[in-house]
Amino acid sequence: MFNVIKKADILLLIALLAVGFLFSWLSIRGNVTGTYVEAKVNGKVYGRYSLSVNRTVTVRQNGHFNKFIIKNGTAQMEEADCKNQICVHHKPISRVNESIVCLPNRVSLEIVNGNGSKEGGKYDAIAH
Amino acid sequence: MPSLTNNHTLRTRRLTASAMFAALALIFSYIEAILPINVGVPGVKLGLANLIIIIALYELDTRYAFFINLVRICLAGLMFTGVMAMLYSLTGGMISLLVMVFLKKTDRFSMIGVSMAGGVAHNFGQLLIASFVVSNIKMFLYFPILVFTGIASGIGIGIVAYVIDRRLPRMLFR
Repeated sequence: MFNVIKKADILLLIALLAVGFLFSWLSIRGNVTGTYVEAKVNGKVYGRYSLSVNRTVTVRQNGHFNKFIIKNGTAQMEEADCKNQICVHHKPISRVNESIVCLPNRVSLEIVNGNGSKEGGKYDAIAH
Repeated sequence: MPSLTNNHTLRTRRLTASAMFAALALIFSYIEAILPINVGVPGVKLGLANLIIIIALYELDTRYAFFINLVRICLAGLMFTGVMAMLYSLTGGMISLLVMVFLKKTDRFSMIGVSMAGGVAHNFGQLLIASFVVSNIKMFLYFPILVFTGIASGIGIGIVAYVIDRRLPRMLFR
């Protein structure tokens, strides 16, 4: 049955694998531990919280909520009222550019580095 | 030499086959909706319904495959997955179909290659609309994983589609 596979199939497979590996490499390159987690709603920043302080934050908007916890330098979605619960099952994030996205509620958590950003590293997120 | 009655019979056969395919694709969508595969990355799934779409693409034609897919996505969206998920499916499904039609037209790829490209294209389309919805281009960090899972599920579905297609009675379509 494997004689159905044509040469073009193999080439396509190699090309797609190359694209996959290229993008993996690009995303692993910036592999540094972040200092803040930024919560966004609809792409707009909702709040920024230091990863060094263990706490629980609830993002409330449009009658929906996403509760995430910051623990030992990682952020993790604890609870959400979204339908598919994909965000809740997502593994904890800690490295820059990693993110957890809750599509139904349009909420995203993203790890960022405090250096050179607009809010700076001095402010404590608890003041928010 | 197709006479008028023959032509009618053919069209009825194809219509019946399409209806059956749409129903079957809907069942596959349902199976996927109740059996979510959780690997920690959103959007990873088998794409069982694509089995039907590929066979329709080869045995009927592009138009039939397009409408079967459209009916399947709209009904599955309203019945199981919700309107937002329908939007993702629609984008993914249409981009995937477009790529598959194109690759099939070149006549250089087997069903397995076509299905593989379709799987990757589907994931790409969903990611595109998802990053648009949350206005976050960082969604593309999932892209490598979705490329690999798209390849794997595409090849799997392609092989199954090929095996099934050879065993289907020809009189279903012509």
